[in-house]
Amino acid sequence: MRPRRSWTYLTLITALALVIAACGGDEGGGTTTLGTGTTVASSTTQGGTETTAATETTAASGEPIRVGSTLALTGFLAATAAIHKVTGEVFVDRINAAGGLLGRPVEWVLLDDESTPDLAAAAYERLITEDEVDLILGPYGTGNITAAMAVAQRYGYAFPHHTASLTYAYTYECQFSSWSTGLHPNITNPNLLYDALESTGTPPETIGFVVNEFPGTMFISYGQPDTDEGGAVAEAEKRGWEVVLDVTFPTATSDWGPLAAQVRDADPDFLYIAGLGVDAPNLVTAMQAIDYSPDGMFVQWPAPGPVLATEGADGMMSVTIFEEHPPFTDDPEAVEVAGMIDAALTEAGVPYAKVETQAAASWTAWEYLQQAAEGAGSLDQQAMCDWLVENGAQTLFHGDIEFFPEEQNYFEDLSKIKQVQDGEWYTVYPEEFAAPDRSVEFSPGG
Amino acid sequence: MELLAQGIVSGILVGGLYALMSIGISLSWGALKIINLAHFSFILLSAYIVYQLTVSFEVDPLLMVLVVAPLFFMLGVLVQMFFHLAKVDEFKSLIVTFGLFIIFQSVMQTIWSADFRRIGPVLNPYETQSFFVAGIAFQLPQLVAFVVALLIAGGMWLTFTRTYFGKAVRAVAQDPEMARAFGIDSRRVAVILSGLSTAFSALAGVFIAIGQTMFPQLAVAWFGIVFPIVILGGLGNSLGTLTAGVIIGVAAGVSSVLWGPLSAPLVTFTILIVALLFRPEGLITKRSIA
Repeated sequence: MRPRRSWTYLTLITALALVIAACGGDEGGGTTTLGTGTTVASSTTQGGTETTAATETTAASGEPIRVGSTLALTGFLAATAAIHKVTGEVFVDRINAAGGLLGRPVEWVLLDDESTPDLAAAAYERLITEDEVDLILGPYGTGNITAAMAVAQRYGYAFPHHTASLTYAYTYECQFSSWSTGLHPNITNPNLLYDALESTGTPPETIGFVVNEFPGTMFISYGQPDTDEGGAVAEAEKRGWEVVLDVTFPTATSDWGPLAAQVRDADPDFLYIAGLGVDAPNLVTAMQAIDYSPDGMFVQWPAPGPVLATEGADGMMSVTIFEEHPPFTDDPEAVEVAGMIDAALTEAGVPYAKVETQAAASWTAWEYLQQAAEGAGSLDQQAMCDWLVENGAQTLFHGDIEFFPEEQNYFEDLSKIKQVQDGEWYTVYPEEFAAPDRSVEFSPGG
Repeated sequence: MELLAQGIVSGILVGGLYALMSIGISLSWGALKIINLAHFSFILLSAYIVYQLTVSFEVDPLLMVLVVAPLFFMLGVLVQMFFHLAKVDEFKSLIVTFGLFIIFQSVMQTIWSADFRRIGPVLNPYETQSFFVAGIAFQLPQLVAFVVALLIAGGMWLTFTRTYFGKAVRAVAQDPEMARAFGIDSRRVAVILSGLSTAFSALAGVFIAIGQTMFPQLAVAWFGIVFPIVILGGLGNSLGTLTAGVIIGVAAGVSSVLWGPLSAPLVTFTILIVALLFRPEGLITKRSIA
């Protein structure tokens, strides 16, 4: 009898391990399809956790306008989603202090989607049909945004959202991305980097790619599936740079040694890490341990804090849309808002308490919502959508934005290149956005 | 060739860390019939405590072994006492310890937030230290973890085969009622073994804190590594667990350098499934206590 029991348990455990392994470690998020340990108790479809931001002001009056959204308050995406939560709370406080929206206070109904796309979709269904919120805002994470967008489209809601990476997939005419990557970041982002490298006068002759299998980084590296558009790899080849390494790694990588050894073996002048979260710190540490460091490195979407805390990460480049230094901080209002968000991030215990891409994109999405309602003069979803398409938006961190319907409401890629120099992130390219006395530092063999 | 050699060496060394993470679960499952999913949380909790103490008091993270090992031994004792009180059997343990796993994960997220935590290079010089033999890097933290795993696996093997306590553990593992009839205090044996298993998880946590960036969901990724090793090694077999850790580590390392990192999980689970088909009792059964 005993072996049969053991078989049962072994099979059960194997199944459990396979399922968890399949969804594990996806710190960049978006592709998981199963809720995880920390979040089961707060399933949004069964009542969910719900927080409501402050609503009372002296100037605003009447029934509150209820803005519904989800964020990954738990799960793989929670680290970054915390930034969006703090930013949203600051925005709601600020708009209420300024008299509310259409003269009414704003209430944010926030649910936990547990970093899981199907829960995000269910939560938006609930927000629209049961909670009957007036407006909706996108969640955080490519997979969650994509899932929520389908619900928004079904009910005809205007759908501002922030950092979703599969731009080509978003064809809903009332979706508005606040992440200024343009419709073709697989072309524009790498070329911005390559231009930055060429601006030094000593561009690399060889380049290596290590690519997280996360859909967004695959898109950036290789382009839209089933098309010949290409991405970062093809664009490098067009410049005549020899691609000496092109390897894909799983999102749940725990042993970085073999990948580091492969990079050392290829020895590229420049290493393009199409990764996110803590991929770069982990890989750099593994490379340091085998006494190897490329002459230059770029990481697509890193967690900014851990990169700074990593030995050997000085000179690492990435993309940004806002950093807290001139010329971005030439606008006093940007300084004021950034200061408020910084303070709130610090209070929330977020280790890297500075406004950069995530907070800036989040703030901008809220601005879309506010301006659409005010511009349309009502909460009519189609009117808001039409108003945004016709008028664009005036944003604090991006300036004036015009949406191009023929480009799926995307606008130009406003990304900049930032680099770790002297232990801090500084924008270094294009030159007009570079921090004072900062420029791209790269020298093959140097 | 150097690339392949590096893949093998890295695989062997990281296999030691994997084994260190797995030995506690293997002992708990094999001897106590407790499939302790909370073990994964214990590893991460230990890592977070090491992180916190290191950055707060600016002390050597390796010295934190002296703090977390006894602390987690006590935690293991308390957890096992709870299992006795709640009369948790093998099947219930899956549900109960999964609940504990969720609770500990939530506690860690509440205390340290969902953000990434890493001990900086000033306080943690070990993470990038290596020595080289013929151009092959031996990473110091992984090497130390391997040595610790070897000592624990060997020590437990000697304990189970050469000591009265070891015989008592094996007796309790095979038939607790009969062991009690022969005067063995099976509860006491179970409590000590649970303490040891949890202390081993704390040791693994020290090396996680030294070598990796931590975040609450990190523990979830370990399920797919640890369970194949536990099953492959044979329940309650510490030397088998170490062997399995090295096999999985080398297989993943070599497949990574030959066919890319995406092949590593495929190879790992292929080995597991083949093992389940042909040797469900584990690779090494001679000294297993299960």
